[in-house]
Amino acid sequence: MNYSLIIVEITAVLIGLGVLMTDLWISPAARKGLGYAAAVAVGCLLAFATGSLAPQHGLGFRDSFVVDDLARFFKAFFLFGAIVVILMTVEFSSRIASGLSEFFALVIFALVGMLFAASANDLVLLFVSLELITVTFYILTSFQRNRLASLEAGVKYLILGAVASAFMVFGIALIFGSANSTNFRVIAAHQTELATSPVFLLGLLLVLAGLGFKIAAFPFQAWAPDVYQGSPAPATAFLAVGSKAAGFVLLIRLLTQAVPQITAEWSRLLVVMSAATIIYGSLCAIPQRNLKRLMGYSSIANAGYLLLGIVAMSRSGSTAILFYLGGYFFTVLAAFTAMSALAEHIETDEIAGLAGLGRRSPFLAATLTLSLVSLAGIPPMVGFFGKVLLLRSVFESAPGRPDLYLLLGIAVIGVVISLYYYFGVIRSIYWGGSTPNLAPIRTSLGTKVALGTCIAGMVFLGIAPNGYLRIAETAIGGIDSAAGRLKSPALKKVSAHEAH
Amino acid sequence: MPQFTDILFFGLAGLVLLFGLLTVANPFSRNPVTSAMFLVLTIVSLAGLYVLLHAFFLAAIQVLVYAGAVMVLFLFVIMLLDLKEEEHRRLKSGILAVGSLAVVAFVGILLTTLLKAKPTASAVAGRLVEGDTVKLGTLLFENWLLPFEILSVLLLVAMVGVILLTKKDLK
Repeated sequence: MNYSLIIVEITAVLIGLGVLMTDLWISPAARKGLGYAAAVAVGCLLAFATGSLAPQHGLGFRDSFVVDDLARFFKAFFLFGAIVVILMTVEFSSRIASGLSEFFALVIFALVGMLFAASANDLVLLFVSLELITVTFYILTSFQRNRLASLEAGVKYLILGAVASAFMVFGIALIFGSANSTNFRVIAAHQTELATSPVFLLGLLLVLAGLGFKIAAFPFQAWAPDVYQGSPAPATAFLAVGSKAAGFVLLIRLLTQAVPQITAEWSRLLVVMSAATIIYGSLCAIPQRNLKRLMGYSSIANAGYLLLGIVAMSRSGSTAILFYLGGYFFTVLAAFTAMSALAEHIETDEIAGLAGLGRRSPFLAATLTLSLVSLAGIPPMVGFFGKVLLLRSVFESAPGRPDLYLLLGIAVIGVVISLYYYFGVIRSIYWGGSTPNLAPIRTSLGTKVALGTCIAGMVFLGIAPNGYLRIAETAIGGIDSAAGRLKSPALKKVSAHEAH
Repeated sequence: MPQFTDILFFGLAGLVLLFGLLTVANPFSRNPVTSAMFLVLTIVSLAGLYVLLHAFFLAAIQVLVYAGAVMVLFLFVIMLLDLKEEEHRRLKSGILAVGSLAVVAFVGILLTTLLKAKPTASAVAGRLVEGDTVKLGTLLFENWLLPFEILSVLLLVAMVGVILLTKKDLK
């Protein structure tokens, strides 16, 4: 066994354990410092993981663990996300009554689950890493245990998550029963025979249901609004960015690497799922009065847009997913960092409570506005370019598949609806009604740095998307989805060298 | 002429279904302790099915861990949380109808799938997995070593979480 393949994951576990242990020796006042230290440690890990010393390509642990360009792209994504979430938690710490160090440690353990999910090439590893992510989030969502809303969010997420996991493990059992293997490569090699086995197809459907729950796609979206509203802002941000991306990397691996033929046959199902998710998320967001709940519905709608890239079933579709996730990353993190910085000064999460923010803190107001503008998909922000890429990839695949034109129409309608509810929030920030309190809101240096990075990311990727787009294309390059087979690692290495 | 193991299988499978139904929808009693006891019987019948599959170690663990240790915890929780109200709670008919519809639909899908499946189920020529401890140990610590180790992190997370969410005076 080649243990050097999982060196990034092992280091992340050690950082998590280190945070847990260090907490025993430091005073409660020093816990914020521990957060900064943890962020620096994860930052070093990020530098290592993106550098040339980290494992570049390989397959290990009986082919269940794969390191390729896609895995490395998502590992960098998750590590970066964890750093921002930890910094956000430091800012949020006044709202966490106890166990701040444990919050940092749990964020890092969820990160470990995501790192493994990025490399999962086997249904068992997929299930175990998803469980690690989900169980950690059960705790993170209910972390403010003296707030009823937080506990309610935790319990709802726990029960619905347990049902989703049960379906998923049942599906994996059926797949194992018919394919006699849980490995994606073995399944890919036998998919023509397996496509005729009803037991295998049912198993795959149930696994899809489990992954649909992770990304909050219709009809498995019921948990998202309550959980987004109730959980602490850093936990929500990590849920929106990390957990969703983990679901999508597994969907890309399963649907475009392991069973592309069956995915092609099921395109109608995916089209319906994507359209229903967009419509549900957009329509339900309109009457919302709570900002975090609105973000919950917005995340459902965004899951629908991301599914467009899966529906397209092309390399450009998968690339568009990666690009969109990158843009979504900066946008959502900016919005939630701003919200958690506001949490100390504004008592409610209500949208009406934002009134007068434009005067109280022009910086936070501008950040929130920019991220909402990007979510709505208005140029020159990154959200616009991501949506264009997704729609274009569907359009390219549309000839010969008439239902895709309908899907495109629905997606455009969804974007138009989203303009309405995002601008409702912006209106309340700048032109909201009477404001009792006009005291200026100060933001700490850490928040300013985090927000500045996010804004820079949003604007830069929107104006000059080419560099990042090339990275996303390289990450997808290893997957030959048209032919439905995975290039061998050796071959991929050669092609990677040629590209350089 | 059905074989003896077939009769055993259908007998045990029938028992699992019956006890499972009595766990969640017992028409005679709404007492949570009765439900828990039927859950014990469900688990024991499942262990019988494992024996039929030659998974002896798994059957023993099923009885020891689930019917024994986990059920004791269940009973503890039931007794700690005075659930008298639960006995008088009436289910709303709308919820009941939607729930039943979902169950019927899922069972329908499952049955049609199984009826369509050919008896030579495995599309890929397979090996027989034996369930004795040596084979199981080899599988667990060689083939599935990585998921097994990840589970240890999962257990640590669960432990930290339980303490965080329940400890009385957290500093």
